[in-house]
Amino acid sequence: MELAITNLLFNRKAKNRKLDAVKQQNLTHAKVNCTYNIRGIDTEDKCMKDFLFTLGCFEGEKVTVISVLADNYIIHVKDARYSIDKELARAILI
Amino acid sequence: MRIALAGNPNSGKTTLFNAITGRIEHVGNWPGVTVAKKEGDVKRELNRTGSTIRAVDLPGAYSISPFTSEECITSNFIRDEDPDVIINIVDAASLRRSLFFTTQLLELGIPVVIALNKIDQVKRKGITINTDKLAEKLKCKVIETSSTRKKGLAELIAAAAEVRGKGQEAPFSSPAGLDDTDRAGVEAADRERFAFVDKLVEEVEVRKIDSSRLTIQDAVDRIVAHKIWGIPIFAVVIFAVFSISQVWLGPLLADYFVGWIDGLYAYVEGLLGDGVSPLLSALLLDGIIGGVGAVVGFLPLIMVMFFLLALLEDCGYMARVAVVMDRYLKKVGLSGRSIIPMILGTGCAIPGVMATRTIRDPRQRRTTAMLTPFMPCGAKLPVIALFAGVFFKDAAWVGTTMYFMGIAIVIVGALIIRRIVRESPVRSFFIMELPEYRLPSIKRAFISMMSRAKAFIIKAGTIILVCNALVHIMQAFTWSFQPVEEGMQSTSILATLATPFAVLLIPLGFGAWQLAAAALTGFIAKENVVGTLAVVYSISNFIDTEEFVLVSGAGDVAAVLGLTSVSALAYLMFNLFTPPCFAAIGAMNAEMGSRKWLWAAIGFQFGMGYTVAYLVYQIGTLITTGSFGNAVIPGFLAVAFFIGLLIHLMHRKEQRASAGVKEVA
Repeated sequence: MELAITNLLFNRKAKNRKLDAVKQQNLTHAKVNCTYNIRGIDTEDKCMKDFLFTLGCFEGEKVTVISVLADNYIIHVKDARYSIDKELARAILI
Repeated sequence: MRIALAGNPNSGKTTLFNAITGRIEHVGNWPGVTVAKKEGDVKRELNRTGSTIRAVDLPGAYSISPFTSEECITSNFIRDEDPDVIINIVDAASLRRSLFFTTQLLELGIPVVIALNKIDQVKRKGITINTDKLAEKLKCKVIETSSTRKKGLAELIAAAAEVRGKGQEAPFSSPAGLDDTDRAGVEAADRERFAFVDKLVEEVEVRKIDSSRLTIQDAVDRIVAHKIWGIPIFAVVIFAVFSISQVWLGPLLADYFVGWIDGLYAYVEGLLGDGVSPLLSALLLDGIIGGVGAVVGFLPLIMVMFFLLALLEDCGYMARVAVVMDRYLKKVGLSGRSIIPMILGTGCAIPGVMATRTIRDPRQRRTTAMLTPFMPCGAKLPVIALFAGVFFKDAAWVGTTMYFMGIAIVIVGALIIRRIVRESPVRSFFIMELPEYRLPSIKRAFISMMSRAKAFIIKAGTIILVCNALVHIMQAFTWSFQPVEEGMQSTSILATLATPFAVLLIPLGFGAWQLAAAALTGFIAKENVVGTLAVVYSISNFIDTEEFVLVSGAGDVAAVLGLTSVSALAYLMFNLFTPPCFAAIGAMNAEMGSRKWLWAAIGFQFGMGYTVAYLVYQIGTLITTGSFGNAVIPGFLAVAFFIGLLIHLMHRKEQRASAGVKEVA
């Protein structure tokens, strides 16, 4: 019984951790020159989200990190290239 | 008839605007150069309608719903001012993104003509676009253009004239009765809009190369925008710019130029003859020709410099500098966008300060407006060139150091201001489209250089001329309007006015009233520093200093000015890093929108300039001579007061912040 509960708890924790890891997977973790699907935009700032939307940067769209320069990420979305800072890269979940 | 030019940032709107109107608005190969709308009439040779067509250049926007202040200007204009036709400039290389805005414009009912711009670049990249099909699908005319090569412009204007008053059918409409406040609804509609665009692009565009791959351009980016190497590379580039403009090419041209000015001086002198009153001839010769000539003598150096800076901007390098600088500015609490005003500020502080408008957060905007004038602007270049030439044998490191000194002061200043003013909760983010590198156009750089040179000459012929004449009169007469007697120069109006200020400058190593007067006139226009020095010391030729030695026999210019190398450097920095000219202060006032901020900014700039000059003079003198310079103690008190005030303000903010936390708890 005790074991079962521990197991349950442990598994749940493990599951949670896995979920967290998936949730935190954002553009800063992306491999250079790999194309990813955007899973969502995680930000409190509505303006930032709306602005990214107008660039075609929203869930379901494809994004490629071309290179990392200084603290900026050069990304390719909808046939256009942008330099974005870490703050923005963190908000783009992949 | 009025046509509005609208499109995404860096799609080439201003280049197209300049090409069709013949105006010379500032363009850069990077987004965000245009922050306000500009109007001009279409050139006659392009306009076959017989009536005038007015073109309005709008700042770049990604969508009709405004998220940035530039987008606000654009969407307000299109919605409220009812242009007859909209020319939508579309970067042919990024249809997928650009047509989103296009479909929004098509919904407004105003006839739209699409200028498929940068078409030459696209063809080179192996992308083919079926223009006819695109036009058919979008239900509007599509004209292929290349604004840099001036192709397709007449067709574009003709098409715009033709569709006037015809109305516009929308290929895609968002659901009727959609409320702007209904976020989910708007988002769903916009998603569909993107889906529509994607489908359309699939049909009209064939790409041979996948553009999401690493190219040579990216390889170059990795070097010039490198975390560590980015800054040294920028330093080398700026050093090269100064070397070419101040050591190699610039002086060569300047020598010829100064020869002409000397010729003019001699010609006018001969023309006046002996019959004219000596006071009048002195005013004309030494005051006006000498003073203005001294400033204008630097024109070739400045033109070479502007030419090189325009090349750098045009090839796309400056956008990379913005990327490199972004991380440093972020760390000191500025916005990544702050770099754009600062780079524009190296031309002139006024457009630089105006460009701070694009920064959303008021604290960051005001801080940037306050710090942008520390970047050496075009008007400060003659001052730098004068001191580099006279005291440091035209060394290119002087100008380069002044640039990086400006950047360093900006960073230190931002750190201080962040600790005084409470940070707002708004998180800033930085996004910039990286323009492609391209071979810079000599012609565009030449046009940009000529327009700046023209502005410089106009300024020299108006403000600076008047100032020099006044300075000359003020130093030639006493308060009782008697001519100043030989050897009694300190009784002149100018001397008595400037002396109280000169006293304050003794701790900085330059307590002469002449130098104080020059610094004071610098607030009207920074070039005046050179002009006034020329007038008060009767030196008309700062370029060819060897010749000067022969003429005056009084040693060299350095000896006449009575400055050591160290105090000259201090004086140069004092002039560069105190408040800018009145016009730039006016721009600061407009963008800050707060008297309190304005006065704080002026006070801060004074304090900063004084402190920097003090430290350079005293520490430099200590190193070179082994003891401190003049009046080290009073100067120390003044500097200590300034620093103490800053510390007090920082401390007060901390106290308030902790009090705030208690209240919340």
